[in-house]
This record gives sequence, C-alpha cells and structure tokens, in this order.
Amino acid sequence: VNEFVEECRREWKVLGVPDSIASEMALDLTTDIEEAEAEGGSAEDVLGSSLFDPRGFAQAFAAKASDPLVPSVPSAPRTLSFLGRFSSRPWPLLAGTLMILTVLDAMVAVAAAVVLGHNSSAVAAPIQRVLRLPGSSPLFGPGPATPPARFFMPGPLFAVNHGGVFATLALAVLVVVLVGLGLAMLVWFLWARRHHWHEHQ
Amino acid sequence: MLWCMTNPGGRRSQLLRGVLDLCLLAVMSEGPAYGYEMTKRLKARGLSIVGEGSIYPLLGRLEHDGLVETRRAASNGGPPRKYYSLSPEGERVLEAGVKEWQATRDAVDGALDLVKEEVSP
Repeated sequence: VNEFVEECRREWKVLGVPDSIASEMALDLTTDIEEAEAEGGSAEDVLGSSLFDPRGFAQAFAAKASDPLVPSVPSAPRTLSFLGRFSSRPWPLLAGTLMILTVLDAMVAVAAAVVLGHNSSAVAAPIQRVLRLPGSSPLFGPGPATPPARFFMPGPLFAVNHGGVFATLALAVLVVVLVGLGLAMLVWFLWARRHHWHEHQ
Repeated sequence: MLWCMTNPGGRRSQLLRGVLDLCLLAVMSEGPAYGYEMTKRLKARGLSIVGEGSIYPLLGRLEHDGLVETRRAASNGGPPRKYYSLSPEGERVLEAGVKEWQATRDAVDGALDLVKEEVSP
C-alpha cells in the first residue's frame, strides 16, 4: 500500500499537484485500501488493474481532482485568440523559441568557424574540434585528404592578438548552442509529457 | 472496434465504461458514500468493476462536473473520509441517464432478438 501511494505522491509532485490535494488523495487511497485489507481483501479490490500502473493511476486521478484549481483563461477577443492560446499553453512556444534561438546560435557558430578560420587558426581550431569540419578528424572515417591550409590560413588581420578573444567568443557561442539545445529538449519533453497526460484523459 | 468484436472481455469493458458514471450516480442515490464503499455497493448489485480500473478518477470527474457534492466526515472512529453525494444537477443527470439507458437497452434487445430469430431454425 505504502509503495503504491508513495509512487502516486511522487508522480503528483512531478505533475505539480498542490501538496494539500495530494495529501487528501493519498489519505483517501490509504484508508480505502486499509479497509479492504481489514475485511480480508486486497488493494486490488480497491484499485483493480490500476494497482499495476501507479503512475497512470496518479495521472488520471490528479487530472480530475486538480481541474478546479487550474485557473481558467478568460475568453479573449478574436484578434487576441492567437496570443491567448499561447498564454494558456506556453510550453510549445517556449520550446519553439529555444529551438529557433539554438539554430540561430548554431548558424552563427558555424559561420564564425568558417569565416574566422580563414584568418586565424586560434579561432577556428576549437570549433573545428567540436564540429569536426574538414581539416580536423573526419566525421565518417577517413576521407579524401584535405589540405589543412585551406581552412587554417593565418591572416595578417586577426592572427596576432585577436585570436584568443575570438576563440573564447566562439566557444561561448557553442556553449550557448549546446545549453539551448538541452533546454529545448527538456522543455519539449516536459510539454509532450503533459500533453500526453491530458490526452490520456 | 475489431478488438471488441473478438474479445468478449473487451466488449464488456467498453460497455461498462459508457455507463459507469451512471452506475456511480445510482449507488450514490442510496446515500452518501466514500470511494471504497461505492465499490462495495456496486459489487453487491452484481457489478464488479475492479477489473476495469479504479473509480477514483471518475469520481473526480463527476465532482468537477458538479454532479456530486463532497464533504469530509469521520467514519467509525477512523480518519475522515471523503463522502460523495448527489447534487441536484447529478439527480437530473441520473434521471435522464436512466431513461437513455433503458431506451438504448430496449433498442439493442430488439436488434439482438431479430438476429436470434433469423439464426434459429
């Protein structure tokens, strides 16, 4: 009993069910199961097949019990319905924005690697190492030999003191790209899970 | 649908799912009851729903829809239980649902009797 109820509580916490409601639901479950057991029955007499799917049960239970607490979105004028839709469901918008920013960052990073690579090996080399552009290790096994000088031609303009600065900037952009990608995936995952939960009802 | 046609248990499950809310409202019309008590009342009427899953999410939906009212009260000296009872709207829905079920049942009975006549020698 405890294991089932604890599993439910963990799921309710993940779903953001307020503690007061989660405690009530847990209490109702516990007392009903204990009564069934006291009468010689089992938890299955109370929960049926749900006993073997505590997460699914918790999601279904919470979806119905929490509904009145979800603030309703006031009806918006037709012209604002597009924005209203996003304000009521911000996850897709957030994930989409993060994705777009990440792609833009990636484009900037690649452009920096290519453009600055002509001028300074100090700039291009770190990016090259991450992106595996021609000139460093080939991505799909040994390919045709590419002259390193084609991408690593030290130019007079940036070769002296700016290389380190640009390299740091390029790496920072790359870090932003990777973090943004990770965040986008996380947000998308959370939204998909929530969406699945509502669809499941 | 095909699965229901080839699996009698699946058909029963689908049929029950469509009227389980009505059954819950019906047992609540006997008097306020908590979750497990309703399961027992249903079982006493020959309707075992434990194989179909729990009634709790459905009770939550009925509450959300305003068809039942809830209050917490102690039961037999134990911890407070959540008692469900019919709201006025729930009574109306139950009455309409019973009529709807009877009409559907009669129509299905008629259709099935027709089939029985056709297949009998």
